[in-house]
Amino acid sequence: MPAIDLFVSPLGRVEGDLDVRVTVEDGIVTSAWTEAAMFRGFEMILKGKDPQAGLIVTPRICGICGGSHLYKAAYALDVAWRTQVPPNATLIRNIGQACETMQSIPRYFYALFAIDLTNKNYARSPLYDEAVRRFAPYVGTSYAPAVVLSSKPVEIYAIFGGQWPHSSFMVPGGVMCAPTLSDVTRSIAVLENWRNNWLEKQWLGCSVERWLDNRTWADVLTWVNENESQYNSDCGFFIRYCMDIGLDSYGAGVGNYLATGTYFEPSMYEHPTIDGRNSALICRSGVYVDGRWWEFDQARVREDVTHSFYRGTKARHPFEGETRPIDPEAGRRQGKYSWAKSPRYEVPGLGYIPLEAGPLARRIAAGAPNAAPFQDYDPLFVDMVEKIGSSVMVRQLARMHEASKYYTWTRGWLDQLDLHETFYVKPVEHESGRGFGSTEAARGSLSDWIVIEDGKIANYQVVTPTAWNIGPRDGAQLLGPIEQALVGSPVLDPEDPVEVGHVARSFDSCLVCTVHAYDGKTGRELSKFVVNGAV
Amino acid sequence: MASVLWFQGGACSGNTMSFLNATEPNVVDLITDFGLDLLWHPSLGLELGHNAQKLFWDCVHGVRPLDIFILEGTVIKGPYGSGRFDMFADRPMKDWVADLATAAQIVVAIGDCASWGGIPATAPNPSDSTGLQFHKRERGGFLGANFRSKMGLPVINIPGCPAHPDWITQIIVALATGRAGDIALDELHRPQTFFKTFTQTGCTRVQYFEYKQGTASFGEGTRKGCLFYEFGCRGPMTHSPCNRILWNRQSSKTRAGMPCTGCTEPEYPFFDLAPGTVFKTQKVSGVVPKEVPEGNDHLTYMAHAAAARIAAPQWSKEDMFVV
Repeated sequence: MPAIDLFVSPLGRVEGDLDVRVTVEDGIVTSAWTEAAMFRGFEMILKGKDPQAGLIVTPRICGICGGSHLYKAAYALDVAWRTQVPPNATLIRNIGQACETMQSIPRYFYALFAIDLTNKNYARSPLYDEAVRRFAPYVGTSYAPAVVLSSKPVEIYAIFGGQWPHSSFMVPGGVMCAPTLSDVTRSIAVLENWRNNWLEKQWLGCSVERWLDNRTWADVLTWVNENESQYNSDCGFFIRYCMDIGLDSYGAGVGNYLATGTYFEPSMYEHPTIDGRNSALICRSGVYVDGRWWEFDQARVREDVTHSFYRGTKARHPFEGETRPIDPEAGRRQGKYSWAKSPRYEVPGLGYIPLEAGPLARRIAAGAPNAAPFQDYDPLFVDMVEKIGSSVMVRQLARMHEASKYYTWTRGWLDQLDLHETFYVKPVEHESGRGFGSTEAARGSLSDWIVIEDGKIANYQVVTPTAWNIGPRDGAQLLGPIEQALVGSPVLDPEDPVEVGHVARSFDSCLVCTVHAYDGKTGRELSKFVVNGAV
Repeated sequence: MASVLWFQGGACSGNTMSFLNATEPNVVDLITDFGLDLLWHPSLGLELGHNAQKLFWDCVHGVRPLDIFILEGTVIKGPYGSGRFDMFADRPMKDWVADLATAAQIVVAIGDCASWGGIPATAPNPSDSTGLQFHKRERGGFLGANFRSKMGLPVINIPGCPAHPDWITQIIVALATGRAGDIALDELHRPQTFFKTFTQTGCTRVQYFEYKQGTASFGEGTRKGCLFYEFGCRGPMTHSPCNRILWNRQSSKTRAGMPCTGCTEPEYPFFDLAPGTVFKTQKVSGVVPKEVPEGNDHLTYMAHAAAARIAAPQWSKEDMFVV
């Protein structure tokens, strides 16, 4: 059987447009190119602007994770200006970040991902009719309520930040709001409404506490069969359906993970610094390579542009980063094929390697030993990856698992707010400084590096989770994480390569974060499925 | 039944995310109850690759009638007018936009970017972005000042960064129920039903404004005072219904203590985010706001302010939003 080049443009439902080119041999993907095809140049816009411009501009990089952009942009300034962040402000920022993610989890799952579970390629599954009944777009019995209820958590964001998406209410030194009693009580009510009506009633079929008791993959399998309610919940059904149609068997990816962590313990990060960051995180940072954990160090990050439409050959640390676009037509002649840069991380002894970012990476970091009492320790996904390996299913379950975690934490943070204490400490606006701010957007690690000189921005670099995951090959020809995850995927029907969609979408990449995609190796434009004799 | 095609140019998806927060109607209602035929949308579309491209070409060629073409995001013209900074479904997005705008009965720009360029068009505008029929306040944009859709309408602008879901859904319902003729547009092509009033209309801080009592500090300070005097709030100069139709059914930026940044106006982001302009009121000789509420001049503003301060009751100097 000849090799087939499949070019899927647009892939769609990945938040922005992703073009994917894969080479298929004997029904298996043997190579892949993910191509981000849109350029807006935010880092260039920020140069020379007001130091606080990132609070307004970076959320607009991605409207899906705008709150996450704001969160890390505020911390980058906190570090650069050496501010004091009062505990109340840390709590409000945590709540905002978590609410955005709690919105994203069901919205992404039902509106973007689960639709493909109704693909006719799965019609032979005995569970297919049930999948269609639940997940069919707009009319599915689970689709409609989940998509509508996904707007609930961001009501809480609006109570503290005014609106979602696109508020800029987190500022160096704290937050702009000073909530009143009814702001807090209403937030609690909204959160409980979401937990009752979506998270427990629809997704879990049990209490949040019962789900969080699961510590191993064996526990999860026991949980599924424990009672009818759990067996027939969307989660129980999803696990059973994945195992029936094989979503537990491909899409593993590079197997190495990066989490920069998020949510600070209020008392541990009143004076934000780069050095004090890791030990103050509730949702921990960590790099996991070849079965071993390393502490995350921002100094080890580099961005490679060998295959990206930018000038420059040397991989640079973001403090020294550049964004100098070139005409993609000229870029193609140099073997470049994407607007995403390729972020890489230096692991001692292994050099600069690609790492997967996202909920699974966070869950792996959460399994590392030596957590402080206030830090998340959760061995479930380390066990899952050890027992059954990473896959589309495991990546999805990691994302969904966080709904229960974040609900629990958010409720705790709301309870901790002290309405009689301050929410802001006015900072000194230093003329110069360097800052690093980072968080975990729903879809993974998101970081800013800011250099302020003479009271304005001298350099601003953003490294998004989408860049970590969708970035193209680097100078060493190492595939990016999604490219690697696509390799080995089955493609049953080249006319309808739903498997490619599952893998790419399991990363929940917001392409608009880095921006889109195009052709690859040959430089040829393939407008549709092209059969290519020899690749 | 109205057919709708929703594309994203130089976009962040913020308007889509905002749209998904809609209630009455929510997105599901729009499709199942109002019979909206959403032919394709970047986040919600079912067709991929080849099938999606065929659908787009069918719209361009009139094989599929297209009632409403919605654009979110800027039209990217770079580099050198080629549009290659934004490729979509095998060609520059700007070429799709030109073809589909011509094929559609009605063209709607959702959000600042599609309306007039928004943040991507901020200097130095690296992607050479512009809006559909405006570039900032200047008429023209990508389609030209004289553009009219098949129904004879200019591009309807629903600005905001993002646009509020209600502004989007109510206009879609109006168009889908044959009320296009009832949509009165202002000189910036914004539906007046939403954009005649000011952001300040309905703001909970308006009594502080009445007596010229400013907020002193973010955080606890926002329990009292108006954000216009120190924090650059553009509420009195910006047209939007942000405080009439609340965000996420709960609040608004100014209610939550964040100054309005004027995101429904074409100049947004104001002053191109030059140093010293973010969250700070621009003043003349350090005292008088450089920009005064719409329709005022500096002299009458100052006379009014002086009188208002004399008249200010004690409660206007105290916390109103208390625990």
